[in-house]
Amino acid sequence: MTAPNPRIVAKGVCKSFAAPVLRDVGLEIPPGCIHGLVGENGAGKTTLAKIIVGLEGADAGSLLLDGQPYRPTNTADSLGAGVAICAQELSLVDDLSIAENILLHISTSSWARIRRNSTHEKAWTLLDLVGLESANSRSRVGKLSLAEKQLVEIAKTLATDAKLLVLDEPTSALTAPQAERLHGILRDKARDGVTVIYISHRLGDVLNVCDRVSVLRDGKVRLTEDCGALSEKALIREMAGADADFEAPRRSAESPAPLHLSVDGLRTSKLPHAINFNCRRGELLGIAGLAGSGRTELLNAIFGLDKRLAGSVKIHEDGRTTEVRNPRQAIRCGIGLVAEDRSRDGVFRDQTLGFNVTVAGLGRISDRTGRLVRSKEASAVGKLIDALRVRSNGVHQKMRELSGGNQQKSMLARWLHCGSRLLLLDEPTRGVDVAAKLAIHEELVRLRNSGITVIAVSSELEELQSLCDRILVLSKRVLVAEFHRSDWSQQEILAAAFSEYAREDEPTSVAVP
Amino acid sequence: MTLERRHLAIETGFRVIRVLEDNLIFVSLLAIVAFFGVISDSFLSLTTLSTLFNQLPALTVVSIGMTLVLISGGIDLSVGSVVALSAGVIGAGISLFGLPLPLAACLGILAGALAGLANGGLGAYLRLPIFIVTLGMLEVARGLAYLVTDSQTVYIGAKIQAFAIPWGGSGVSASILVALTLVVAFEFLLRSTIFGRQIVAVGSNESAAEISGIDPRRVRCTVLVISGLLAGLGGLMNAAYLGSADPNAGIGLELSAIAAAVIGGTSLMGGRGSVIGAFVGVLIVSVLQIGLAQIGITEPTKRVITGAVIILAVILDRWRA
Ligand SMILES: Nc1ncnc2c1ncn2[C@@H]1O[C@H](COP(=O)(O)OP(=O)(O)OP(=O)(O)O)[C@@H](O)[C@H]1O
Ligand SMILES: [Mg+2]
Repeated sequence: MTAPNPRIVAKGVCKSFAAPVLRDVGLEIPPGCIHGLVGENGAGKTTLAKIIVGLEGADAGSLLLDGQPYRPTNTADSLGAGVAICAQELSLVDDLSIAENILLHISTSSWARIRRNSTHEKAWTLLDLVGLESANSRSRVGKLSLAEKQLVEIAKTLATDAKLLVLDEPTSALTAPQAERLHGILRDKARDGVTVIYISHRLGDVLNVCDRVSVLRDGKVRLTEDCGALSEKALIREMAGADADFEAPRRSAESPAPLHLSVDGLRTSKLPHAINFNCRRGELLGIAGLAGSGRTELLNAIFGLDKRLAGSVKIHEDGRTTEVRNPRQAIRCGIGLVAEDRSRDGVFRDQTLGFNVTVAGLGRISDRTGRLVRSKEASAVGKLIDALRVRSNGVHQKMRELSGGNQQKSMLARWLHCGSRLLLLDEPTRGVDVAAKLAIHEELVRLRNSGITVIAVSSELEELQSLCDRILVLSKRVLVAEFHRSDWSQQEILAAAFSEYAREDEPTSVAVP
Repeated sequence: MTLERRHLAIETGFRVIRVLEDNLIFVSLLAIVAFFGVISDSFLSLTTLSTLFNQLPALTVVSIGMTLVLISGGIDLSVGSVVALSAGVIGAGISLFGLPLPLAACLGILAGALAGLANGGLGAYLRLPIFIVTLGMLEVARGLAYLVTDSQTVYIGAKIQAFAIPWGGSGVSASILVALTLVVAFEFLLRSTIFGRQIVAVGSNESAAEISGIDPRRVRCTVLVISGLLAGLGGLMNAAYLGSADPNAGIGLELSAIAAAVIGGTSLMGGRGSVIGAFVGVLIVSVLQIGLAQIGITEPTKRVITGAVIILAVILDRWRA
């Protein structure tokens, strides 16, 4: 034991839902320590975090906070004791301003008067700290991008001045520089004696920022060790319980395939500079760029979600050309969109897994009269959730009971079920564990080989580089460059991503053939 | 008793509790019927049954529509007035213009559908708050009902009553059969058709529904039209039961329908509910009314008790979830 009193001790914590999730989990973390918590999707990380802040009750076991018995039953308890959580599923109120969202969390009494000026000042300092200085603390949270919302959520957690911070995948929507900034803040906090529990699937980050790390598997802590002595590979082995296959998926050779998608002079209110590019059938096209560079907006524009100001999006199939105008028509043209903000634009929380997977392709599980055939539904969904390794108690489990990563995988399953031939994927592996991520990559390459076109946005350049045939780079909402698999380098792509931000004069659009 | 048998007994006990819990509203309905059966000698009789069957059809069909609207994330406050409007159109059509009954009945139902279309157009396509739109329609339709009937109860006659008069001594009328058929049909629509799934999807996450290729506006509008249409049918049933068109018919009916839906497990937030549940809700509300009247409870007390039961139902529902 390093210090006289560890900040938090968990002993024999057990929790079951339908099946046991945590069995006899023990942890001990001293003050000033950043402690990583890793494990596969559904391993129980979020559940443990929720128990520590009183959002779930443990079935057995005990917690000690600074040597004192600690049994929170809600977040007011845990906040009072100096424990704060940054939740995996964001808990912001869209209709309130950024500052009000932060205040909502830290006000000591429900009746406290909202003092506008001091609130905004404190909010502003925090936003500055996490790197959201450009946002107006009075603007509505609903208007922010997912990454910005995540930064607000982090600021909200930091605002509590807690002595134990529980961060559940705080960087899942952030780009590398944004995450690095958070890590700096955490190190400072740790130096001041604050304890941090850091949950993430980005193992490189975990090893980099954490002092110690614990691996959760099958409801037990399999290993707790100093990060210095560990490699990513060792962590993955512990998480999966076996050696994970690191082999990059094999891709069939590129053959000159016919044109599938053409985007000509596309402009929307959020993409003021005309975008031009083409995509061939069976191509895996990546879109890179910094946060806020218009990647999500581009996918939404192709899908017909945002009103088009100029230009066209055309699908070429079977010798016919169809213009895409709205989401319904896009789906009829075989396009599917996995949106960035899963909980807002993807998941039906209160419905079953089966409902969620089949909702876009109900025609495939019904007979000609529009009547649903349950047996078709069960078998179709069953196959997909096996292929994508969705961990659940079956197709009838409620979506809200699935872990975050498993919800993400079922979003992809939705479009595979629907038979989409052009997939628009916005951060398809956000919050997905390493093994499942490889499984998804494998699946995407397999789809590509079978002639399905994929356009993927990712904040992880490595992911795009290992997957894609071609990468387009957006910078400040301008399509600035195009790189082919044979001749790209990380530096060049990054330089392109920064290019428009570095320029002073008004940028003009760059056409990419 | 051996340990094993004791375990078995406990397990069976749990299972029984589970089954009771899963079918809570049916159990509650049976409990209410049993309660009145025990304390009132006259409750379990054919008279009660025919009183019940007389009241049931209009409220049932209106509750079906309300349930669908609630599941889609909307609300329809205009149904009570639309019942009166439809009845008024039928009465005026027959008595003042001498239209044949079937034509007048169709016009009445059509009037309901048009009211629903207006609700849907304004609420879904112009994106006005549906609460306010249907609140406005509540006034508009009631006003129209007074206008077409000249604020008088319009006598229609025995012809229309054939629809509501029980066959033989059975208590079963055409009205009630139509209502029951619709309950089954719409439960099927909700559970087992593409459109049913779309209603649930729109009610539980509109933005996700849109990205999944569902047109939320069309779905919302369609359920409001269905609701108006069913309220129109409710007007026919009401007129058939009374033998006349009463412009004051259906006052407060929207609240009974919402109560029935909620007792039946429908969420006011959308995304969850059942038509069969709403029907059982209708039965609970109606049986309670009749039973309380029979044991001599006064109207004010009746209202207190009915209100309390609605709240209790929501509490139970919350506790189960
Ligand atoms: N309310 C609930 N009811 C039933 N099962 C639940 C509930 N909440 C979580 N589970 C189950 O508990 C398991 C652990 O979930 P948890 O969210 O803790 O996983 P996680 O480790 O955080 O995964 P991820 O990396 O995907 O976020 C999952 O299998 C999940 O399905
Ligand atoms: Mg989690």
